[in-house]
Amino acid sequence: MRFLVIVKASKDSEAGKMPSTELLTAMGKYNEELVKAGVMLAGEGLAPSSKGARVKFDGAKRTVTDGPFAETKELVAGYWVWKVKSKQEAVDWLKRAPFDGGEEVEIRQIFEMEDFGQEMTPELRKQEASQMKRAEENRKQK
Amino acid sequence: MRFMMLVIPKGYESAGPGTTPDPELVKKMMKYNESLQKAGVLLALDGLHPPSMGARVTFSAGKPKVTDGPFAEAKEVVGGYWMIQVKSKAEAVEWASRAPMGDNEIVEVRQVQEFGDFPPEIQKSLEGFSEMQNAPKK
Repeated sequence: MRFLVIVKASKDSEAGKMPSTELLTAMGKYNEELVKAGVMLAGEGLAPSSKGARVKFDGAKRTVTDGPFAETKELVAGYWVWKVKSKQEAVDWLKRAPFDGGEEVEIRQIFEMEDFGQEMTPELRKQEASQMKRAEENRKQK
Repeated sequence: MRFMMLVIPKGYESAGPGTTPDPELVKKMMKYNESLQKAGVLLALDGLHPPSMGARVTFSAGKPKVTDGPFAEAKEVVGGYWMIQVKSKAEAVEWASRAPMGDNEIVEVRQVQEFGDFPPEIQKSLEGFSEMQNAPKK
């Protein structure tokens, strides 16, 4: 099963403050372990919310608000996608992450095809599989 | 440049374990996904199980503390995301505006940090990271 591991924003990340070389080195080592164990599928950092925007939906109306967004506690600063055998395994991996300054990280299971019932018709399943394949091709081209 | 479009569905913070999306919404989403795909902007996409099936780990002085979901204090949570490759933030916002979301739902558009965005001394520490991101496949 796959999990999205969401690193929450902090005042520093929102201010665009870069992590120290020590932390980056520790993170590089940790990422290396994740890769070697076949756990890490993807990982990215996001620019502070000041560079982003929110689109709110109301019927046909769209309200666009440029960042920053004040509620830093629920904002995302970065993420990994991990492939593990259980939620516990994800928790165990996360406990070893080199965070130490009050960071909060959220572990969320990703929906897989088998999580859907009959509503996901064979046609929709085929469409989804084809989209995934072509999305992968887009990634390779970047 | 790459952007992550984070879906913040209304009320998902209190959805029970095993909740799956409305079948009609799935059909609309698939159509929207198809439009992203055809435009060649779609890089990745995933839907997330409700937070009631997840966990949070907080780190204080190097000590991890695990809390299982649901998270009582959360006012909004991520329900899924698209990763897209576009030419500008405006283009990303344009795509976000076309998503089949319901009333009072939000799509947050966030730029992904690329290697070139970092100063040289950070780039040095990040050596090999791009390979890590692309190496393993399920």
